[in-house]
Amino acid sequence: MDLLANFALGLETAITPTNLFYCFAGVFLGTFVGVIPGIGPLAAISMLFPITFYLDPTAALIMLAGIYYGTTYGGSTASILLNMPGATSAAVTCLDGYPMAQKGRAGIALFMTTIASFTGGSIGIIMLSLFSPLIAEYALTFGPAEYFALMVLGLVAASTITNSTPSKGLAMVVLGMLIATVGIDSQSGAARFTFGSMSLMEGFGISAMAMGLFGIGEILSSVGAKRDGKIDKSSARLRNMIPSRDDWARSWRPGLRGSAIGSFFGALPGTGPSIASFMAYAFEKRISATPERFGNGAIEGVVAPESANNAADQTAFIPTLTLGIPGSATMALMLGALMVHGIQPGPTLISQQPSLFWGLVMSFWIGNLLLLVLNLPLIGLWVRLLMVPYHYLYPAILVFVCIGAYSVRSNPADVVMVLGFGVLGYVMRLADLPAAPLLLGFVLGPLVESQFRRAMVLAQGDFTVVMTRPIAGTVLALTALLLFWTLASTYLRYRRRTKTTLSAQG
Amino acid sequence: MKALITAAAVAALGAGVAHAQADFPTGPVTLIVPYGTGGSTDMTARPLAIELEEIWGQPVVIQNRPGAGSMIGTTEMTQAAPDGHTLLINTAAITTAPAIQADLQFDPVDDVTPISLLITSPYVLTGGSNVNADDLAGLLEESQERTIFMSTAGPGSSGHFMSELVISASGLNADIVHFGGGGEAYTNMMGGHADTYISTTASVMPYVNDGRIKALAVLAPERFELLPDVPSSGEAGVTGVDIEGWVAVFGPGGMDEELANRINADLAQAMASERMQEQLEQNYAVAGNLTPAEFREIYLRDMQIWQNLADERGIGQ
Repeated sequence: MDLLANFALGLETAITPTNLFYCFAGVFLGTFVGVIPGIGPLAAISMLFPITFYLDPTAALIMLAGIYYGTTYGGSTASILLNMPGATSAAVTCLDGYPMAQKGRAGIALFMTTIASFTGGSIGIIMLSLFSPLIAEYALTFGPAEYFALMVLGLVAASTITNSTPSKGLAMVVLGMLIATVGIDSQSGAARFTFGSMSLMEGFGISAMAMGLFGIGEILSSVGAKRDGKIDKSSARLRNMIPSRDDWARSWRPGLRGSAIGSFFGALPGTGPSIASFMAYAFEKRISATPERFGNGAIEGVVAPESANNAADQTAFIPTLTLGIPGSATMALMLGALMVHGIQPGPTLISQQPSLFWGLVMSFWIGNLLLLVLNLPLIGLWVRLLMVPYHYLYPAILVFVCIGAYSVRSNPADVVMVLGFGVLGYVMRLADLPAAPLLLGFVLGPLVESQFRRAMVLAQGDFTVVMTRPIAGTVLALTALLLFWTLASTYLRYRRRTKTTLSAQG
Repeated sequence: MKALITAAAVAALGAGVAHAQADFPTGPVTLIVPYGTGGSTDMTARPLAIELEEIWGQPVVIQNRPGAGSMIGTTEMTQAAPDGHTLLINTAAITTAPAIQADLQFDPVDDVTPISLLITSPYVLTGGSNVNADDLAGLLEESQERTIFMSTAGPGSSGHFMSELVISASGLNADIVHFGGGGEAYTNMMGGHADTYISTTASVMPYVNDGRIKALAVLAPERFELLPDVPSSGEAGVTGVDIEGWVAVFGPGGMDEELANRINADLAQAMASERMQEQLEQNYAVAGNLTPAEFREIYLRDMQIWQNLADERGIGQ
């Protein structure tokens, strides 16, 4: 009953014309920012942050949040159509989204990502509204040892994320981890591989890497390549956007699983939508009866990460609002928008500012509904975007990528970095090396390293701590099991294959 | 050639001294924030800029130049002309960075003009859910039985320096564990994975007020006027840890003294505004009220203290 009263209070706040307007403005802007490769939510929110000084805190937060989760809705569009992620969390969507588009199923992929985003978002909101304090409390039990175990699980689970040979995938994971060592060492403070450059002290940026590897890499490799007119206008027609019964049947379970995985990683401070989308994809591929379909346009490979990153977007508000601790740079801005007005997030926020908290939660519902209504008709428009000749489209994207890279820290060196990663991405394409494992190694590597070293400081050098702590131990045991399963199934498949070849010969 | 231009600029400045009062500012003023949008320094800078625009009748443009522990933005400021149209707002990080960054691209003594100490607040030693003690004396006792884990927001952060200072001054049996930012340090303290964290009142008080962490001591000889219930480190018999946290405004090196005084006065006026007073109150902080010359002494003194501590404790080596 209490909850209903809270929902009613929230709805009352969210539905006022002013708040409705800012909600719409936020999600509208977010969708476009998401679609444009290069400009991510952090850049967009940073640019708009100053106006929150002049807004009512609830309206300000509703708008900034709208941009945030709106970006994730739009982020997959460029992944699917152009093989360039509009946001880092949509990088993994390229893997199956782009092949779908190449098969003329772009409309269906976009339709399903919108539905998946809505599902993920909704489940995330349910978690946020029902279990916030509980989840926040649980997240606190995760110390360095637990994070370390979780990240190792992530690395193992995701080592087979692409279909290239395992050695290539593994090599790229390691390369990603190595690139991530550039910067200030997490414990000693020593500058590693910075060569005296101040711009390298913070290391390479995740968005610079994603945009370079995928975006610029794609543009570079398209130079000289003949554009085969795969995109026929019919895929923009409504009839060709409606997923088949088979698509639905394949999608609903991955959507729910993705939402669950996303909700979990979103609520943990320090992880977020990007890790969540990778994990959801890796998980779906792992449990799939037909893993070979992944990477070739499997709808599950689009639905799972897209529901995960949207769920993570919503649950990321849990530590921010209930503990007052932002899990990411974007969340720190949200927190800032509250503190500008003297509101301190924390356990007391929900009881002291009920109209703000519940208003925000209800605005998430409204925003997600608006995004659904906004995005479905736009699909036709986006698909038509592919008809723009590449010699107009690509230079424009190149400009946006450079602006986006610059705007994160206002540092020209970041533009050079994004171009450098572009060249790397191009070379990797030539050598048939997968980019997704590189990105994953880059994201998880620093977490594995720094959390392990923190765990070692706290255990005073006792290695067994990562196994004797209950959560960490369980997760590592799971990891070992997964590793064993992978090896065993590979061996069995190998034996079966040799047997068939032998019997065929005999 | 460069020297010639500099000489000409200096000459031009010299000629303008007499009119400095009336002539400033002649155009938009850039206030460099060497941290990201929405951070605590940014949140002080933005309302301050609004107040300064009213006083100066010129736009005051905030430029966020984060990176390298505030040194990217600070370096950029030192390269501007010392005509008051490019200013920097920074925390005590500007005094700790020279102690640990060997390759600074400016001289922290000659290339920086300290103008105004805007805000000061004491550092507070806080304890997490795993700490039984309620004050510093208790913590010292607790550390006889087990190693205390002092968390920081990262190596070279002000909390790192303060933790080393506390260890050095009190003989606390402690190991330092660095997290990736204050937020992570707080969650690990709340979860009982790490024990203490040191930061200024503005950062710690919200969590203390929530009851999630406890304030063990204000690092000062006496109790802090705005937190009468929190014991001081002096009460625990620990001395030599009474450095204050602050936010201050700087100009490029070699700024004309009169101009610095003028900007100092304008900043004081801005700080007296209702908007800024409200912010001070929220942050449990007080306004600085020092002349540029007085502030310069604190700036140089703090830098020396951190340098000595870095040498003694082997920070950044």
